[in-house]
Parts: sequence; structure tokens; C-alpha cells
Amino acid sequence: MSDIFVLIEHRQGKIRDISFELLNCGRKLAEKTNSNLTALLLGYNTENFVEKIKSQAHRILVINSEVFKDFNSESYQIALSEILKKETPFITLIGHTACGMDLCPALATQMEFPFTTDCLDVDVVENKVKVTRQMYDGKLNAKLIIRENPSYLFTLRAGNFPSEESSLKTEIINIKSSVTEPDYRKFVEYIEAVAGDVDITKSDIVIGIGRGIKEQENLSMIEEFADNIGGVVACSRPIVDADWLPKDRQVGSSGKTIKPKLYIAIGISGAFQHITGMKGAETIIAINKDPNAPIFNEADYGIVDDLFKVVPVLKEKVMELK
Amino acid sequence: MDIIVCIKRVPQTAEAEVTIDSSGKDIEKDRLSFDINESDSYALEEAVILKEKFGGTITVISVGYQDTEDTLRIALAKGADNAIRVKAEDFEHIDGYKTSQILKSVIEKESYDLIFAGCIATDDAYSQVGVTLAELLNIPHASLVINIDTSENRADVNRELEEGLMGHLDISLPALFTIQTGINEPRYASLIAIRRAAKKEIKVIGQEEINKDNLLLNTEIEELFIPPKTKEVEILTGSPAESASKLAEIFKEKGLI
Amino acid sequence: MNFGLTNDQKMLQSEVRKFAENELAPLAPEIDISGEFPKESIKKLAELGLLGIFVPEKYGGSEFDYVSLAIAVEEISRACASTGVIVAVNNSLCAYPIMQFGTEEQKQKYLPLICSGEKIGAIGITEPNAGSDVAAMETTAVMEGDHYILNGTKRFITNAGEAGIFVIFAYTNKELKHKGISAFIVERDTPGFSLGKHEDLMGIRATANCELIYEDCKIPKENLLGEEGQGFYICMNTLDVSRIDIGAQAVGISQAALDEAVKYSKERVAFGRPICKFEMIQNMLAEMATQIHAARMLVYYAAWCKDAGIKRFSKEAAMAKYYAANISVDVTRKAVQIFGGYGYSKDYTVERLYRDAKILELYEGTSEIQKVVIASELLK
Repeated sequence: MSDIFVLIEHRQGKIRDISFELLNCGRKLAEKTNSNLTALLLGYNTENFVEKIKSQAHRILVINSEVFKDFNSESYQIALSEILKKETPFITLIGHTACGMDLCPALATQMEFPFTTDCLDVDVVENKVKVTRQMYDGKLNAKLIIRENPSYLFTLRAGNFPSEESSLKTEIINIKSSVTEPDYRKFVEYIEAVAGDVDITKSDIVIGIGRGIKEQENLSMIEEFADNIGGVVACSRPIVDADWLPKDRQVGSSGKTIKPKLYIAIGISGAFQHITGMKGAETIIAINKDPNAPIFNEADYGIVDDLFKVVPVLKEKVMELK
Repeated sequence: MDIIVCIKRVPQTAEAEVTIDSSGKDIEKDRLSFDINESDSYALEEAVILKEKFGGTITVISVGYQDTEDTLRIALAKGADNAIRVKAEDFEHIDGYKTSQILKSVIEKESYDLIFAGCIATDDAYSQVGVTLAELLNIPHASLVINIDTSENRADVNRELEEGLMGHLDISLPALFTIQTGINEPRYASLIAIRRAAKKEIKVIGQEEINKDNLLLNTEIEELFIPPKTKEVEILTGSPAESASKLAEIFKEKGLI
Repeated sequence: MNFGLTNDQKMLQSEVRKFAENELAPLAPEIDISGEFPKESIKKLAELGLLGIFVPEKYGGSEFDYVSLAIAVEEISRACASTGVIVAVNNSLCAYPIMQFGTEEQKQKYLPLICSGEKIGAIGITEPNAGSDVAAMETTAVMEGDHYILNGTKRFITNAGEAGIFVIFAYTNKELKHKGISAFIVERDTPGFSLGKHEDLMGIRATANCELIYEDCKIPKENLLGEEGQGFYICMNTLDVSRIDIGAQAVGISQAALDEAVKYSKERVAFGRPICKFEMIQNMLAEMATQIHAARMLVYYAAWCKDAGIKRFSKEAAMAKYYAANISVDVTRKAVQIFGGYGYSKDYTVERLYRDAKILELYEGTSEIQKVVIASELLK
């Protein structure tokens, strides 16, 4: 067998969006390599999940066990290594998510598969496997040639293979597993973010601030602007790291995903983790001093200038026009 | 509690212009400044916090060129006790996987309760060295760790998942954690600590102590290129006042205000 | 010959630079406008050991050398000129004379307070009618029992508004002319001391620059620094060291201006291309970079002389201070020129740097006085 495999990711009873992107990417790869796509589903009460992904792959290998109710990379690794040993797939794709980052390097290392992480694309050219990924704060892309081997493992970044309809005839294979959660790493519980006073996912206008804001005192200028324009203030990760805004204001992969009518990114360079959280906004504005900041690749309108000069004027003009 | 912290010296590219060099496979580094990788500095700080609480020693290790010793010395000034540099110049190509293999062959000779690494390096952005290293050493791991509460032989850690959610794990030691930024507030080194650290010896390890032949390279850079534009942005030009006025007009037109 | 920095100097440079960029630079525009003394920053500087850079560890200092002092002041000034001179004064104009000329008791009592930032240091030389002509000072200290009674006014005193410990110069014997000047350690809460006018300065605006007024101020006699009549010597000796600092401050301000100018010249487009493509801009940038490099070498050399134990380095210190101050005014002017009209706006950093630079030619000996020092050494 030299199938394409994808790992279905789920959390708290729901299949995560990345799974459909993996299935889409996997189908494309399977088509290109004349092979089949197999979805790996490790979970508990998997019937619902199977229903959701049926017709998206040629096969679904299912392990239905309470051990896999919540993600624990060590339990996953034990079960998956057994399957991969037996099945020897050509390429296995896992999401570049908190789960994937925890699992892929360890699993691949155990299997002695060449692997790489955070791929934007995986391609097979004349029997060579090549991947595209980003480096240097998203400022450059790199094409990598992967060491030749019968099997490979990659994590795929979200956002490049939007989920698509598919009508494959799907074979569902249930696998018995005796895997138990190892004592050396136990999943205890999920801890939800503490809800704050502002819900940034509910506002039509969101002003996002990043490193460029330089110091906490400058927040008040942005807050005034947000009040004027009728929006709320959100931020990228460094602002939360510095404790200038609470975690529930963070937009991005480890924060919230927002889809406002208007998103104004102020002093945000645009790391992909942030982009992931805001690219669904209808109109995106970027104000940044650095003309090469990746945020401008996502914006509809941009101003390349010092935010401290632009924002005060913008505030005035908005007041005038309102 | 003995802790090993894996650190990397990286070019500071977040706010700098990044250009591709003539080989097409690397970047121009002459004009960039270098410093400890961001999440590594949090990893180091977390180790220092634990050392202040439980005692023990901290060893910092880096695979890097000669100038990496400057970064290691700063780590000594911030609270590490020992520093090891593995000579990057002894290895032709190095990727994330190879780095982990090299680190493994050094660390397996050391004793430790915990190993920390940053959760991602800002240059090659792999997020894989720490977890790979844990697997090679055959110890449990947790990545993206945002809180650590440790007793003698176990640790309660919170991993940062998506959408503000955290996953709480209970892990036996020795273990490896990759540390997420924001877990603490990294300190600056005081002058006195710098003066003391400047005199400390940094252990330098070359290829003779690492079996180079068994090292595998997973990846090879074929080319670097500027990311294609996915969206055409309209840049509003003029003085700050002019561009801001244009933008306000756009808000008005689109009925956003 | 070795132009390289030592390990500890390199580390100090990188750590102070990082600290200054992250913690001081963001506050610089704000305190320039408000004139507010950066107390929080001073606390952090104290924690890192930057308030007693060359003071021995046993007195609470960091025990670095004078090249390190220059590097630190340069890096701090690059981010914030006000903070740069606050640090320079605390180190070279207050801690230094006490360390150099103080008794063991004085050192033990005052240096730890200065190094820890518990008390900020200042120095009182200048008076309303005595600037370059130090010996024209009118302040007097008259011995009465076990006290000196201090009377007089000091003007343009950096740190004055916030300082707790002052090194004050006064005549104990006017007839002996400059040989009748003595130095005293004066604590802020001494009865008879009051703060006068706060100066609204053109640059370095956050330095709590005030007038000091002494009216029958009783100073315990054990607070005499050095011997009676040694004041002028202490003053000149101290200024030799502090001129290294001011040179370093000039280099820092100039470097900040060059950094801004290089960046702006690449971004700003005129006549269809970035202005850095124009030779006249390149000409200015090249001159600025060379001037800064030469100034830095002079400053480091003067500091090296002090570290090497060379007894007289008045000429080297004066050259460093004179040249660095001179080019700093020119470099910041050029930076403003490159920015064009924007450079004249408070919205841009170079406007502040230009104002900050001018003081360098005036304080701790005007440029004219530096040339007098240099020439007098030549004509000896």
C-alpha cells in the first residue's frame, strides 16, 4: 500500500476544521499519485465523526475507544505507530495545530520517517517529495526537498486547502485497540479561557494592535479611536505576552477567530498565527511602518507610515465624517 | 532540580528587511542583528524561576557558530550555571531533525530532571526540535507549555491549544517541555552577573564527540522565494494626514461609519 | 593594539542596548514633552547596576571599567538622551568624586545609596554668574564649630529636582582664589537647602534640571570631600571623567540620528525613487557615519586611558567631548535635513535629537573650554 493518510482532529466532541483541509489536500495528493486516501480517526463515540467525513476519503480507519476521547499525543503515538507500521502509507498528513505539533515530530522520529512541519503545500515531483513552508517571520517561503524514503509525515498549516465537497465511496474499517493512556503522560482536563468584559467575536469593527504600539500607555489612544468608530480593541500575541491586554482579546490561532465587517490592524506585522484569526474579516486595513510586513498581503487597504501619526488624524477624520 | 535548556541564536527578522542571498538558499545576514530566539528566552527564564524555587543547576546548550557563545554567556548571566556549544561549523548542513540528533548525543551524557526548549525558532519556524529530542531521549514531552507546576517527580503543565483553550496534563519526570512565549517575564542580566558570566568557561563540543556518520538530514532547501501575494492591497499614499483622510473616506463609502 | 571589546563589554553592550530599546526608547518622546523625570526607568537601571558602573562591588557598584561606562551611556543615550545624562551624572559627577576623594566612611555611607538608586546623585558647580569661569563662583562655606555654613546658589543642575546627594563646590577661602575652593557632600534634607526654579530646557528635558539654593545651610564638617582647598582639583579631575560620558552621550544621540536617517532615506520617495539613491543624501549619510565612528574612537580611547591608569588624560577627554559634541550637533542637523519638513515636526524623533544634541556643546565645559584645555596641554 502507498496511500495518502490524513489524521482527523477533533476536540470536545467536534471535528476541527483543519481535518477537512487535510482531507482536501490528501485527496489532491492521492489523485496526483494515483493512490487512495485514508482518513485515520481515533476517538470516542466516533459515529458522528464518521458521518461528517464520509465521502471525503476512500477509507476511514476507525479506533473507537475512550482513551481517544481527548487528545494525548503519547496515546495517539502508540496507536498510530502500530497502524503506520502495518499500512506503510506514502504520505501522512497531520494538522499543524497544537495537537499536530505535539505529535508529528515524536511519531515520525519513532517511525524513522522523514518529516517536516508547518507545510503550506506538499508536492510530489518526479518521485521526489517537496514541501513549501514559511521562514523568517513569514517574510520568505522555502521549497524543501525531503530525504527519500517510502513513507513521510508532514504537518499542514491551516488555510491553504479550504474544505471542499466530495463524493467518494468510503469504506469504513473499525480497528480494535488495546491502547491505554500511559502513566507518564495523563490528560487531566481542558481549561477554558476566562471570559472578559468584551467579546471581540461579536463586534462589527475590530481594531487589532501589535508590537508596533510600543508601550502600554499608547493603548488609550487606540481605545479612544475604537470608541469613536464604534469598535473594540483586539490584539496579536505579543500584547498578551506583555500583559497589556487580557488573553480573550487575542486574535489568532491560539486566540480567537473573528469575522468582523472591518478589521484594522495597527502595528501588527502579520505572523500567520495572527492572520489565521482575522482573515475572514470583510474588509482588512493594515497600518504599519514596514512596507514588507506580511500583513499587507492580507489587507484590502494599507497605509505604510508611523501609526502614531496616522491614528490621531484618522480618529479626527472619522469623527468629522460620522 | 537539574534543568537543561536548549537555545538558539537567531537573526532578528520580525522588524527587519529580509533578503535572499546569491545562493538563493539562504538569507543575507550581514545587516541583521542576532539574539536568543524569543521563546528560548522564556524557556531560560522558566528554568531560572524553578532553580530559584528548588535549587539545582541549569545547563544551556546550543548548536551554533562561534558567536553563539555570546548568547550562551548572556544565558549564564541570567542564571544558567553551565553552557555548552556544539560547533555548527563541524556539520555541513543542519536542519531541525539533525539539530535534535546532535542535541541528543550531547544530552544523553548529562543528568537532568527537565529539559526546556523554545516552542518555535523564529528563523526556520519548525516547532520540532524539542519534541523530536524528547522522542530520541525516550522521555515524555509536552509542547506549547504556558504554565508549569512541578513537584519532585511529576509536573502539572498547561499546554496552549487553539481559541484560548488550554489542556492540562500530568507528566512524569524527567520530561521535555517546549515553552510558549508569555509564560513569564524574561529578565535582563545585571552588570554584576554579566561580569561573573564573562569569566565562565563555555564547553565546546566538536564532531569528534558526536557520531557524525549516523546523523540524518530530513530536509534540504531547494530555494527561498518571496511569498506570492494572495491579495492585492491598495496602499494609500501621502502624508499621514492625507492617507488617513483617504482611509476615512473609504470607511464612509463602504458604510462602515 | 586591540580594537575589540572584551566579553563582558560585549555582553554589557548587547544587554544594555536591548534594555534601552525596549524600556527606555518608548518613553523618550513622552518625557521629552512632559519633562517628567523617568523615575520608573531609574529604578530599573539601578536593578541592572547601571547607576554605579565603575564603583567597586563592596560599595554596591558593578565594578566595570570606564570603557564600559562609555558603552552604557552611549546605548542609553541612543534610546533617550535625558536618561543618558541622568545616568552619566549619577555615575561620573557624583559617585566618581566620592569614590575618588571620599573617606572610607563617606564611601561606605554614600556610594551604596547612589548605586542602588535610593538617592540620586548630582553635582553643583555652575552658578548664575559662574559657568566656564568656575573660580568666579560666589557660594561660600564658612566653618563654624563642627559645621560649615553654606550660602549660595547653583544653577542648571542636572538631576537636582530628584537628587538626594549633591557634591557641592564652594569657597572656604576666597583669598586663595581657585585654591580656596572646597567640595562637600550635601544631603537633600539639610536645613537651609531649597530647590529654586525648574529649568524649561530646549533638550534633555526630563532631567529635573533646577536651581539649588543654600541659605545658612549647616553641613557637618565630616562631609568635606577631600581636603579644604582641594575643590578645584576635584572638580577638574571629575570633569575629565565626565567628559568621557558626555562624549559617549553625543555618540549615542548621533547614532540614533543616523539610524533614523538611513531608515527614512530608504522609505521616502522623491522624484520617483527613494531619496537614498540621491548622491547628496548619500554624501550626508557617509559624512555622518564617519563622524560618529571618529567620535566613538575618541571617546573609547579617552576611556581606555583612564582604564589603563594613565594619570593625565585631560586632553584626550576634552578632545573626545569637544569633537563628539560638535559632530553630534552636525549629525542631528543633517538628519533633520534628510527628513526635510518632517524633521522639523515633533512627530519625528530627529527633531528631538537635534534639540538634545545642542546641550552637548554647552555643559560640562563648553566646546570653547575644551579647546582651551587641549591648547593648554599643547602649549605646556
